[in-house]
Amino acid sequence: MSTRELDHLIKMINQIADNIAIGEDEEIAASKVSDHLNRFWARSMRAMIVAYANGEIVAQESNRLNPIAQRATAQIQITAAQP
Amino acid sequence: MLKYFDPQRDIDHGKDYGTPPVITVAAARGIDQQSRELVTVNIDGQEITVPAGTSILRAAALADINIPKLCATDSVEPFGSCRVCLVEIEGRKGFPASCTTPVEAGLVIRTQNEDIARLRKNVLELYISDHPLDCLTCPANGDCELQDVAGEVGLREVRYGFEGSSHLSAVKDTSNPYFDFDPAKCIVCSRCVRACAEVQGTFALTIEGRGFDSKVVAGQAQDFMSSDCVSCGACVQACPTATLIENTIIDEGQPEHRVVTTCAYCGVGCAFEAELKGDQIVRMSPHKGGEANRGHSCVKGRFAFGYATHSDRVTKPMIRQSRSDPWQQVSWDEAIEFAADKIRSIQETYGKDSVGGITSSRCTNEETYLVQKLVRAAFGNNNVDTCARVCHSPTGYGLKTTLGESAGTQSFDSIEKADVVMVIGANPTDAHPVFASRLKKRLRQGAKLIIADPRGIDLVKGPHVAAQAHLKLLPGTNVALVNAMAHVILAEGLHASGFIEARCEMPAFEAWKSFISEPRNSPEAMAEVTGIPAIQIRDAARMYATANNGAIYYGLGVTEHSQGSTMVMGIANLAMLTGNLGREGVGVNPLRGQNNVQGACDMGSFPHELPGYRHVSDDGVRKKFEAHWGVAIDAEPGLRIPNMLDAAVSGTFKGLYCQGEDIAQSDPDTRHVEAALGNLECLIVQDIFLNETAKYAHVFLPGASFLEKDGTFTNAERRVSPVRKVMAPLSGKADWEGTAALSNALGYEMNYNHPSEIMDEIAALTPTFSGITYQRLAAEGSIQWPCTKEQPNGTPTMHVDSFVRGKGYFAVTEYVATDEKVNKRFPFLLTTGRILSQYNVGAQTRRTANTDWHDRDLLEVHPHDAEDRGIVDGDLVQVKSRAGDTVLTARVTARVQPGVLYTTFHHPDSGANVVTTDNSDWATNCPEYKVTAVQISKVIDTSDWQRSHRQFSDTQLGLLKNAVEPV
Ligand code: SF4
Ligand code: SF4
Ligand code: SF4
Ligand code: FES
Repeated sequence: MSTRELDHLIKMINQIADNIAIGEDEEIAASKVSDHLNRFWARSMRAMIVAYANGEIVAQESNRLNPIAQRATAQIQITAAQP
Repeated sequence: MLKYFDPQRDIDHGKDYGTPPVITVAAARGIDQQSRELVTVNIDGQEITVPAGTSILRAAALADINIPKLCATDSVEPFGSCRVCLVEIEGRKGFPASCTTPVEAGLVIRTQNEDIARLRKNVLELYISDHPLDCLTCPANGDCELQDVAGEVGLREVRYGFEGSSHLSAVKDTSNPYFDFDPAKCIVCSRCVRACAEVQGTFALTIEGRGFDSKVVAGQAQDFMSSDCVSCGACVQACPTATLIENTIIDEGQPEHRVVTTCAYCGVGCAFEAELKGDQIVRMSPHKGGEANRGHSCVKGRFAFGYATHSDRVTKPMIRQSRSDPWQQVSWDEAIEFAADKIRSIQETYGKDSVGGITSSRCTNEETYLVQKLVRAAFGNNNVDTCARVCHSPTGYGLKTTLGESAGTQSFDSIEKADVVMVIGANPTDAHPVFASRLKKRLRQGAKLIIADPRGIDLVKGPHVAAQAHLKLLPGTNVALVNAMAHVILAEGLHASGFIEARCEMPAFEAWKSFISEPRNSPEAMAEVTGIPAIQIRDAARMYATANNGAIYYGLGVTEHSQGSTMVMGIANLAMLTGNLGREGVGVNPLRGQNNVQGACDMGSFPHELPGYRHVSDDGVRKKFEAHWGVAIDAEPGLRIPNMLDAAVSGTFKGLYCQGEDIAQSDPDTRHVEAALGNLECLIVQDIFLNETAKYAHVFLPGASFLEKDGTFTNAERRVSPVRKVMAPLSGKADWEGTAALSNALGYEMNYNHPSEIMDEIAALTPTFSGITYQRLAAEGSIQWPCTKEQPNGTPTMHVDSFVRGKGYFAVTEYVATDEKVNKRFPFLLTTGRILSQYNVGAQTRRTANTDWHDRDLLEVHPHDAEDRGIVDGDLVQVKSRAGDTVLTARVTARVQPGVLYTTFHHPDSGANVVTTDNSDWATNCPEYKVTAVQISKVIDTSDWQRSHRQFSDTQLGLLKNAVEPV
């Protein structure tokens, strides 16, 4: 994984959170974000962003996800990569 | 015998009926053609019934009574100057010209008698007395109306003699690379002048002088190249003599057969007759029966076809182990085996998901369908994407969300009924020229025009058209503008409540309404953001909302932004709010960039969608495909192009099959793309040229041009039109055959004998295409999808009684400023676009004489900014963003606003995309080509990237030139 790939994913999920659910409460917004990711992101991308949100890639304290994005990652479907 | 004639059905498009049908006039005035009054006249003893307003000339021609004519042709309004077409009308004095005399009930007309014959002969005699008599060696021989008419009237002698003053020594104008103007042969019929005005709308030609001295001049008595002429060729087509004639005809002679096909350039999708001698094209003539173009075309489609036989074509399959190796020419079998081995071993090592494919908007529907099928069935994943990702993916997302279908709502014909047209982020005179001509025609009839564009595009003020409003917004503020317009419409009660209540989801509308009504969305509040005075936004909103028919046309200036999808939804909101959907003359119309963008999207090129825009996670849909294809399909969306590139840099994505696309030039942040391509273990490129991407390839499969294969393209109005093979593929295989061979080598069988079988499979699996077959296309010319049981004849206008999604959905469209902002380091906004003579990455047009108009990409700089930095026209200027820098030649012009720069990306050396960044649309990853914050400064040399790119490119071309031939 390049940091650039991760940077892009972070930027994208934040951008989605900024755009997709304006004026909705955080819970609905977060579910719209996760729904969008489930529909449009490949499994490898989803896995990476969830790992990041869980502090498995870099330490939690440097987490750059905005609150809605962070909350959305809890509802992202993770499926195993194809063999 | 009473003969009723229905011009829609029985027309012979190969015939010239002398004057245009009155239908278009009626449609323009909003008169329903069915209800038009019919008039019966008697011509030479035959009763003929035609719509009122039809000329006698046309009425006669419809009954196959072909009155001689010279100055009339059915592409332009009659002028009545040659007097060859005269007839006798019972009870009337004299001999009126039949082209300018409309039918009236009960007229009894004779088209031939002794007097008429004598008069016609006299006219012809006069013409011929000032015309060279070199018919046998004249290039128009075999296609000259003057010769024909002289024959028809039986001219046998010319009594006047050829002494005295004449035009025979007038000098030829050969300035245009595609046609000559030989005034010695001109009969001053003014067909060319009218074609330039009425059909093309450029008004480059006039008749100067009177009587014997009158002559045709271009511009201010300039040569054609220096005039305003845009080389559309309408005048050449209209000319009855050899005066205006194609150079290919001069060089090669008249064609001997014709094949109807579809232009392979832009999304207008003009129908053409390819005119051939054997398998050699001598002329492309726009097809009068083509419903997208109605007999017109632009310089690209008509003239720029020489690339297809250019010496740069690579026609042999080639392979190599590494990028530094010379290419090795091999047989198709060997190349395919080599590619399949590599893909298989990559998948064994790195997993199933480590490979993918890119389909092309320039290839046919059938080819695109096969590539996505190959990825899903043979690669076993959904890593397939298309270049629409980088242009119109937000259209798909935005229109699907709001209206329910990822496509434009209208036909191009619909423009004839629009009263107010709003053009947003599009430059039709350059990028969609034939649509622009049709739009200008409507504007000359009185429709109003609103333009939202940072730049002063040609439509803002042209000959006989001018925009009522030009909203010069700052790049990146589209959503703020569209919100402010909606705010005004609601606040002033101009919305269509009845339409909204009947057709839209009310809770969503209410939520949207309270959002949009907030004061922060008012034009006054948004003036600062957009840079447009509030009153201008208010006026424009009123104009659009109060129009009988308001139509919106938009281009990449809408989609290629971080809020591209939001803006598309904002446009749909505006149309729903004002009830401007579901009939002719209105609608939401994306102007598609490349010829088959619509088709590529329809055919399942997106990693999350199977053909027909159905999500891969939908079990029912997947089952249908699985049953037909005999394999399991992954239920998970795959990688999109930018994700593939990222993964390639990371090292998890290793193999790519790229058909007909040049991502190394067309995609943003070139250096990142190059790094990704450089990291692949197997890059298979299928193209007609060794393009920028192919320079990184391990396998090169020679592609076939649109002249070398059968198939279909789908244009911006969802029109599926046939592409026909007029010559054998130079490489021996059409692209679809190459794809099938690769699939077979990978162990997934594809057995098609002809692309029509692929279309049958598409129709069987895709409800919106269910009624489309090659037989029907052959019989009907083209069909607009959805073509289903319910809509057996296709669907020119979408969402007529209800929206495809049921009720229309108002999406909340909050304006979110892009991250790409100007600051001290990067104080300018760079935006990118296209020009008329070049097409996309220019691989085709750069290999034609179109470079006479545009031989390099220029950087447009406002005079103030130029002065500030000491830049003058022609200076080399460095453009630097946070992604990279390049050097371009400056053109100082007030077309751009201060603080804004503009360039094109038709030439690879320009490196415009070295500068564009990785910013993208939030929903679809469509790159933000239209906004990059940059700094500029005067320099004396090209950039490092340009130098290393040139070196790399030269090396690769050397490796191509020294390709090892098979032993
Ligand atoms: S080529 Fe087109 S633009 Fe040029 S003079 Fe002829 S009609 Fe006008
Ligand atoms: S150039 Fe051709 S079309 Fe134009 S006036 Fe002369 S003969 Fe007619
Ligand atoms: S490039 Fe577009 S407008 Fe020009 S001929 Fe082709 S399809 Fe028509
Ligand atoms: S064709 Fe009617 S006057 Fe020329």
